[in-house]
Amino acid sequence: MKKKTWVSSLYIVLVMIYLLIPLLATAVYSMFQKWTGKLPEGFTLQNYVELLTEQDFMLSLGRTVIICIVPIFLTVLLVLLALFVVTIYFPRLEKYVQLLCMVPYMIQGVILSVSIISLYAGSPTILGNRLVMLVGAYCIIILPHIYQGIRNSMHAVNMPMLLEAAEMLGASKIYGFFRVIVPNIISGITVSSLLAVGLIFGDYVLVRNIAGTGFKNVQVYLFLTMKSSSTKASAVFVIIMITTFLITLLVLFLQSRDTKKRLQKVKG
Amino acid sequence: MGYIHFENVTKDFGHNHVLKGITMDVEKGHLVTLLGPSGCGKSTLLRCLAGLEEVTGGTISLDGKDITHVNPRDRGIGMVFQQYSLFPNMSVAQNVAFGLNMKKVDKETTARKVREMLTIVGLEEKADHYPSQLSGGQQQRVALARAIVTEPKVLLLDEPLSAIDAKLRRNLQVEIRRIQQDFGMTTIFVTHDQDEAMVMSDVIHLFHNGLIEQSGAPTEMYTQPVSKFAASFIGNYNILSAAEFEKACGEAVDSADVAIRPEIVRINLEVADESKRYHMEGEVINSLSHGNLMRYTILCNDVEINADIMFEKSQLLEIGQKVRLSIRKTNVIMLNS
Repeated sequence: MKKKTWVSSLYIVLVMIYLLIPLLATAVYSMFQKWTGKLPEGFTLQNYVELLTEQDFMLSLGRTVIICIVPIFLTVLLVLLALFVVTIYFPRLEKYVQLLCMVPYMIQGVILSVSIISLYAGSPTILGNRLVMLVGAYCIIILPHIYQGIRNSMHAVNMPMLLEAAEMLGASKIYGFFRVIVPNIISGITVSSLLAVGLIFGDYVLVRNIAGTGFKNVQVYLFLTMKSSSTKASAVFVIIMITTFLITLLVLFLQSRDTKKRLQKVKG
Repeated sequence: MGYIHFENVTKDFGHNHVLKGITMDVEKGHLVTLLGPSGCGKSTLLRCLAGLEEVTGGTISLDGKDITHVNPRDRGIGMVFQQYSLFPNMSVAQNVAFGLNMKKVDKETTARKVREMLTIVGLEEKADHYPSQLSGGQQQRVALARAIVTEPKVLLLDEPLSAIDAKLRRNLQVEIRRIQQDFGMTTIFVTHDQDEAMVMSDVIHLFHNGLIEQSGAPTEMYTQPVSKFAASFIGNYNILSAAEFEKACGEAVDSADVAIRPEIVRINLEVADESKRYHMEGEVINSLSHGNLMRYTILCNDVEINADIMFEKSQLLEIGQKVRLSIRKTNVIMLNS
């Protein structure tokens, strides 16, 4: 038994080292002037100072956060409403909705971006706007992840039964859904959304193809920086990592604060 | 016409005819039990009354008004579900207050009513707890408080005690009955447990295959089953065909079947009025202890008869022991096919 624990601990440590080495190496590389020998030379935080005081970089980071939040919000809302209608009124259609939501898994970013551009680029409506196209493309890409996460959470809370109980107490179906069901699947929504944040932060193909370099988000900024300075590009990468980490922490903190409040109320 | 009136209510799920024309009345202030095996249609009828299922045919009226197609939230009906259905994200007090908030009752009245209701169900100290922090019995009491705090015209209980252990269930049966009588609330209770139905009901409707097999007061249902199904479902009747009965006691009867309650079978009893009794000779082939009761199975001329005797150590029978059974003739129920 003891040996088994030791072996599994060693396994976990090895996996962690394997996963963390590239990140740590990038972080170390970003803090030195060069790394051509065995060890890096010339420790400096110049890259970080430059980046954090550079308006262009901060704006690109801000754009990425915004272009990340909008599609996630829209997709979560869309999936919630679709699942509400399907579960309550057309349960037989659920398998078809699931199939539709899984289709984006099979679509490559290049194919998706080219298809969207060829379809909407000449449109005189708002759909012809590149940023709207980009938001739409991200909605498609994150759809399967958001759908699956929310659907699983809904099945776990026995939505029809809770809605019936709410209805018997005088609530409308839609009120019951947002007042009773949504708060109970918030962890599923959170996890799916964080997964989507990771996907959008990691995308370059869609933003490059659809919005072009004119819309400079952090990925485009990273690409352009790589041409001039590899250490600075590493610093950009580290800041992207820290930003996504902070977003994750913030969301989890907000969620746990709610749980703690409930428990404190009970204990108090 | 009763306070609640079902008129020829039918309900089909595809080709499955779950309710085949139910006509039934429920009087105001009564606790009526819909009793029957799984799949007999009792819960479906309850859900039709609640508005959670649309009827296929027929009408339902409440207090003289046709509510057949009225929205569930506008029917003024409270319901307690089998799996409690408490809202996990809300505290006990918030759960109980939910219905009052929907009715837009002011905050002070809501707080007072919630407090009163939690006191009635004995959970005033758990007001700030969440459903996950309560036992099954406590959760069901919260569900009951939540359903009756809005003072509905009718309270529906859909097998509310089936997920609760036996001892707690007995306590809750008494508690529900007490609360129902205190409030004078018209209540319909669904169960497949005949003992539960006997303890709690003013009237029992026995369901079988989407129809009402028999209706009546608990004692009437128990002592006067009208059919073989009613006799087999309520109580643990010995049901014998006329031929089996004749074989066991040597006397013919003028009916298709006879039903004999195990507790009216007397073993080795010397009685003066022997002509008023049927007699059977047999051998004990099995005995089961039911706590204060002993159930013996006696083989009388190849016909098995069950007899319940109060447990008394000095009078225990052995397997293989020869015994003489006697049954008062007036207690044998004749069942026509």
